Amino acid sequence: MKSIFVCAVTALLMFTSACSRKVTRIDPAETPDISGSWNNTDSRLTAEEMISQALGAAWLTNHTTEKGKKPVVIVGMVTNKSHEHIEAETFMKDLERSFINTSKVGLVQSGKKREELRAEKADQQTNATASTMKKFGMENGADYILQGSINSIVDAFKKKKTVTYQINLELTNIQTNEVVWIGDKKIAKYVKN
Amino acid sequence: MSSIFDSANKLSTMKRILLTIICFTAVMAASAQENTLAPDQNPNYKVSQDKYTAQKETLMANMNTTVQDTYKAYDWYIAKQERRQQRIDDRRERRLYRLQNYGNFYNPYNQMYDPYGDFYRYSPNRFRYRGWRHGW
Repeated sequence: MKSIFVCAVTALLMFTSACSRKVTRIDPAETPDISGSWNNTDSRLTAEEMISQALGAAWLTNHTTEKGKKPVVIVGMVTNKSHEHIEAETFMKDLERSFINTSKVGLVQSGKKREELRAEKADQQTNATASTMKKFGMENGADYILQGSINSIVDAFKKKKTVTYQINLELTNIQTNEVVWIGDKKIAKYVKN
Repeated sequence: MSSIFDSANKLSTMKRILLTIICFTAVMAASAQENTLAPDQNPNYKVSQDKYTAQKETLMANMNTTVQDTYKAYDWYIAKQERRQQRIDDRRERRLYRLQNYGNFYNPYNQMYDPYGDFYRYSPNRFRYRGWRHGW
């Protein structure tokens, strides 16, 4: 009887210990590489590099001296042509935030958010008071559009693999089509299975 | 009395003429502004403007998004794992097919009529009629 009880307790302990899940909070700045795929560290490194390149490049001073005011940028499309699903919004938002925080570059809303803004404005035309109602046709026009692409090269044999990501962001003058800045970040990884 | 009416009539006619002149001038000014080219602007700009104005909704649909145009990279190790998984899936499918069509003469996997085949291999009775009582 005693041995049966001991066996049952042991089995229960083994079962519960096998099923337990452990979650540990980690610093987002120190995400470890697990599978070798694109991860938070890659996104962060890209954002840091792009911010330093974009705010330190000549286009910014050129525009400010020429026009006498800070440039206004709109975010366009980023095409992911790599072998993995990569969401560019993670590093694009960091870049946009740096534009606003440094007050060196103005930013106007684009895409679905802009549609929502216009819908809200349309709603105000019939529901808001005349003094608080916002008018159509008073938006800030962007001077530059920010577009980008993500590419990758994979070289694999047996259990060894190298992956190289190339992230490019381009800033183009909307009036003249002149590309005024190209940001570049390359990330290379060696993965051994 | 009639002179008062006459002067009022004249005034309203004058007003009407003045209003027409103002409207005409405003329309002319607006159209002139529209047709005025900026320095060095292409005179055929309207062709392009009309073309892109018509399709701007479609062209701007992916603005501020990441378009996923990914490709499948060849990875030797992953390809090996996929081949292995494919073999497992195929084997499972074959077994399922044999079980579902058990005893069917036209079943290509049927071993009922094969004197050397292992008839009971995929049978639900595989272990039921085995042992010394059933001649192993």
